[in-house]
Amino acid sequence: MNFLIEFFGSGLAEYNEWNIQWAPENSQAIAVILGVSIPLALWFFWTSLKRIPSRLKKIFLFGLRVFIFLFLGLLLLKPQLELKKSQSHKNSIAVLLDNSKSMGIKTFPREEKRMDRVLETLKANKDYLAGLKKDFNVDTFFISDHTEPASDVDVQYQARRPNTDYSKVFRDLKKHYEKKPLAGVFLFTDGADLNHSSDDPSRELVEILAGLNSPVHTIQAGTNESFKDLSIQSLLAPDFGFAFQPVNLSVSLNASSMGNKNISLVLKEGKNILISKMVEIREGKTDYQVELQFTPRDLGKRVYSLSVPLFSGESITTNNHRDFQVKVIRDRTRILHLNGRPSWDSRYLREVLVNNPKVDLLSFFILRTLSDDVAAPTSELSLIPFPSNLLFSDYLNSFDLVIFQNFRFESFIDKKLLSNIKTYVQEGGSFLMIGGDLSFQGGGYDRTPIEDILPVTMQKVGKGYSSEEFKPVVEKKLEHHPILRLEKKKASSQKTWESLPLLNGLNLGLTAKPKSHVLLGYKIEGTTIPVMATIKTGEGRTAVLTTDSSWNWNFRRVGEGGSGRYYERFWNNTIDWITNAPETRLLRLETDKERYKEGEEVLVRFNVLKEDYTPASEEKVNLTLFKVSGEREDHLLDVDKNGDGAFQFLPEREGFYSVEIELDRNGEKISDKISIGVSGETAEFDKPLVNAALLKNIANVTGGEYVILDEAKDLSGIRFENPEVRVLTNKKTFSLWDNWWSYGLLVGFLMVDWWVRRKSGLS
Amino acid sequence: MKTKEILFKLKPMRFAFYIIMGLAVLGGGFLFTPVVWGDYSKLTIPIIKYRGGDHRPRPEAVRSLMAQLARRTSIEVNREPVEIKLTDPDLYRYPFIYLAGNAGFEPFSPRELRILRHYLGFGGFLLIDDSSSKIHSEFDASVRKLVAQLFPKIPLQKISRDHSIYRSFYLIKRPAGRVLLNPFLEEISIKGRTVLAYSTNDLGGAWARDKLGHWNHDIVAGSSTQRQGSIRLGVNIVMYSLTLDYKKDMVHLPIILERLRRYHSK
Repeated sequence: MNFLIEFFGSGLAEYNEWNIQWAPENSQAIAVILGVSIPLALWFFWTSLKRIPSRLKKIFLFGLRVFIFLFLGLLLLKPQLELKKSQSHKNSIAVLLDNSKSMGIKTFPREEKRMDRVLETLKANKDYLAGLKKDFNVDTFFISDHTEPASDVDVQYQARRPNTDYSKVFRDLKKHYEKKPLAGVFLFTDGADLNHSSDDPSRELVEILAGLNSPVHTIQAGTNESFKDLSIQSLLAPDFGFAFQPVNLSVSLNASSMGNKNISLVLKEGKNILISKMVEIREGKTDYQVELQFTPRDLGKRVYSLSVPLFSGESITTNNHRDFQVKVIRDRTRILHLNGRPSWDSRYLREVLVNNPKVDLLSFFILRTLSDDVAAPTSELSLIPFPSNLLFSDYLNSFDLVIFQNFRFESFIDKKLLSNIKTYVQEGGSFLMIGGDLSFQGGGYDRTPIEDILPVTMQKVGKGYSSEEFKPVVEKKLEHHPILRLEKKKASSQKTWESLPLLNGLNLGLTAKPKSHVLLGYKIEGTTIPVMATIKTGEGRTAVLTTDSSWNWNFRRVGEGGSGRYYERFWNNTIDWITNAPETRLLRLETDKERYKEGEEVLVRFNVLKEDYTPASEEKVNLTLFKVSGEREDHLLDVDKNGDGAFQFLPEREGFYSVEIELDRNGEKISDKISIGVSGETAEFDKPLVNAALLKNIANVTGGEYVILDEAKDLSGIRFENPEVRVLTNKKTFSLWDNWWSYGLLVGFLMVDWWVRRKSGLS
Repeated sequence: MKTKEILFKLKPMRFAFYIIMGLAVLGGGFLFTPVVWGDYSKLTIPIIKYRGGDHRPRPEAVRSLMAQLARRTSIEVNREPVEIKLTDPDLYRYPFIYLAGNAGFEPFSPRELRILRHYLGFGGFLLIDDSSSKIHSEFDASVRKLVAQLFPKIPLQKISRDHSIYRSFYLIKRPAGRVLLNPFLEEISIKGRTVLAYSTNDLGGAWARDKLGHWNHDIVAGSSTQRQGSIRLGVNIVMYSLTLDYKKDMVHLPIILERLRRYHSK
C-alpha cells in the first residue's frame, strides 16, 4: 500500500484499502478473444522460428513474444487501481411515535390519552435509551400517514395527524436506512391503521417489513378496557340547499358502554336550535341511524352544528359534536305579483316573469271589483277569493319580491297588513310598485307604511297625471347601475335607451326621496319627475316605475323592427337588483374554493363598487377575520383601480372561520360576510379502538417483541444485535493502461523483439 | 226668474247645502285631479280594414263588447271604435285586433301578410269573427286561405275544452254566438300561446246593441242564454289575451276544477 501511495502521490495517505478492477463491461468477451487469438498467434510465431539455429535465441524470442502478448492482453482488459477509505459505522435504532389523532383518545382506567402513556414510557426509560445511544444511532420519528423526524419530542408530540398508514411509514423507513444498518425499530402506537380491514398485516406490509430485515418491537399505547363513548359517527348532508325548502340529514350515532338512556340530538345554527330529536340508547346496541330535516331560510354559506350530550368518562370528547356547512341558494326567486286589473302592461310583465327560469311566480289579477256586475253566479265564474291574510300574514316572508302593479289595496288588503310589508322589506324583502291610476296616491298609499319604504313621496295635493307621450332619460350619474345595463358596453346601453319607444301616462305627483336613486327621469318645467327610482330600506330594497306603459318597450319596439329583448332585460335586471342578487351588490366577497382542508391557504377575493356602481378605486376596506378560537384579526386593505382586492390566510386548525368586510360610506355601513369551512380528517375516530392483534402480528413477522403499555413499562429487556459494520466513505481510481508508461513499455518490448529477430536473420 | 229672486226664494239650510256642495265639487276638482291616464294602456280593440267584403258587418259589436267588459270586469276600456289597416304604423299600439266579415275578401298583400305574421308571432292577438251565419261561407273560405298563407306549417285547430279561453273569467261549457254553426272555436297557437282565435258563430251579432240598449240582432234558434254565452265568450277571449294562462296557475286549479266538476254535472 505504501508503495502505491509513494508511486501515485502523497495525497493518497487517507486511503486504507485498494484493489484492481478490470474492464467491467466486456471483460468476458475480451478474455475469450484473447484466449483464442494468443495461442494461435504464438503457434504461427513458433513455426516462423524454425530458421533460427540457436535454440537459446529461439526460446528467448518465443518467451519475449509470450510476454508481449500477455502484456497486450493485460492492457486490453483495462486494469484500474481503486483506492478506498472505509470506517466502522454504528448501527441505527428507529423510534417511531404515532402522532395520529387516535393517539389523543383516552384510555382507561386512568383516563389519560394514549400519547401520554407513550411520553410517560419514554420518560421512564430515559436511561435505557441514553444507553442505547452510546452504541447505536437512535433516530426518533413521528409517524402517521407519513414520516417526519422528531427533534424535541416533549414539545412537538401532538396527536393531530389525520390517519395512520404503516405501509407508507415502513416504506419511508426502508428508504431512509437504505445505506445505514438498522438494528431494530421501536413502534409506539395504538395499531389504529384503518387501511387494514383485519387484524393481520396486509401482504404489502409484510413484504415491506421483510425487506427491512430488522426486528420491529411494537409498543401498544393503551387498551380497549372500559372504552366508553357516544359519537356522531357519520353525517350525510348536502353541500347546498334551497331556501325555504327542506334539507335532509342522515346521521349515524355510535354508543359504546353508554347503558340505557335517552339522549337528544340537536341541530343548531349559531345559538338557535333548529331541531331536537330524542334517540333511545340501549345497552347492547351500538349503531343508531337518525334522519333529520330542517328548512334553511337565509341565503349564503350557512354553518350548522349537530351535537349529542357529552357524558363523563367518554374516551373521545370531540366526536359528540360536528359542524357542517350548507350553501343555501335560491332555487328560484319567488315573486308575488298583484295586478289591480288586467292590462297590456301586466300581461307583458307576467310573460317576462313566467319565461324567466329563475322565477317562481305567484300572480293574482283583480278581474272584477265590487262595483262590477258579472251577471253570473259565482259557480259559473273562475274567480277565486283573494287570500290576503294568508299572503300578507303567514307567507309574506317566503317571497323574495312583492310587486304591486297598478293595484289599489283597499277592498283586498286590510290596511293593517301594509305594515307587515314594511317590516318584511326592512328585514330584507323586496317591494316594487308599478304605476297606473291605481298606484301611489291613486291606490291610496299616501301616508301609509308603503310610502315609508318607497323611494318617492306622494304629494298630497297632486299635480295629477300626464297622458302625454314622453321619453324617460337615463340619469347620467347612475348609468352604470345594473338595472340600466341593457348592453354590456356603456355606450351601446346608452344608445339602446335612446332608441326605445316613447311611454305614456306618468304620475306627476311624486318626489324622489333624498337617499333614493332616480335611474330614469322626465323633466317637466325644470323639475325631474322620477320614472324609475330605487332605494335601500333597512335590509331590503324597493323600486318604483311611475308609469304603466313599459310594455311599449316590448310590443311597440317589435313594431318598429326591433324585439322585446331589452324590455325583458330591463325587467330581469330590475328583479336581480331588487332581490339583491350577488352580481348587483356593491360589495362582493368570494373564496377561491368552496371548502378547504387543514393546511390549505385560504384566498378571499373582494370587489368594491361605489354607490353609482363604478369601481371604488383606491378605497380602503376594513377586513375582519374571525378565527375558530374566537379571536379576531383586523386588517385595513387597499383595492386596485378595478375595485378588486384580496386577502390570504392559513387557518390554524379545522373549524369554521368567517371574513367580514365593512365600508363606511358617509356614515352608512356596507358590509358582507363569508363563512369558510376548514375540514380536518376525523376518520380515526370512526374506529377508535386499539388494534392489539395487528401489533402482535407485526412483532411476530419481524422477530420483535410486543409490549402493552397499560402503564409505563420498563423496556430495558429489549436488546439489539450490534455487529461491526464498515462503511465505505471515499474512493479514488487510477488507470493502469491508459497512460504513457504502459504504451512505452509495450513499444520497448516490440523493439527488442524486432532487434533480436534482425540479428538472428529474420525479417 | 232672476238669479237674485231664486236665491231669496231658497230656504237658508237648502242654500247652505248648495253652497257646500258647490264648494265640494270645486274643491274636489282641485284636490283630486281627474285621472287622465295613458289611453294606450287601456284596452282598445281596433277593427281591421281590408279590401273587398264588409269589414264592419256588425258596426256596434266592438263598442257593445267594450261596454260589457267595462260593466262586468275590472278592465279599463276605450269604447270608441277604432278602424285600422294592417299597414298602419300605429298597429303595434294595439295588441288585440278584430277581423270580422260576412263575405269573401281580397287576399292580403305579401306585405300585409308579413306584418300580420310578425304581429302575431311577437305578442299580438287576432280574433276573427264570421258574421255570415252560413257554414262554409265565402268569408270562411277567405279566412282559411288567409290563415294558410300566414302560417303554412300550422293548421287551424279546434280549441280544446280545457283551454284557458274557456275559464279565463267565466266557466264556459261550449262556445256560442248569434248562431250555433260550430260548437267550437279554432285557433293558431305559437309556443303554447294562442295568437289567433276564429269563431264561425257570429259573435259580433250577439254582442251588438244600439245606444238605447236594444239588441241589434235576434239570436237564431236560441234564447237569451245563448246571447249571454256569447258575451261571456267575448269577455273570456279578451281576458285570455290580457292574462294568458293565468288561470292555469296552481293556485287557481283546485277551485276551478271543483267548480267545473259541479258546473258540468248540472
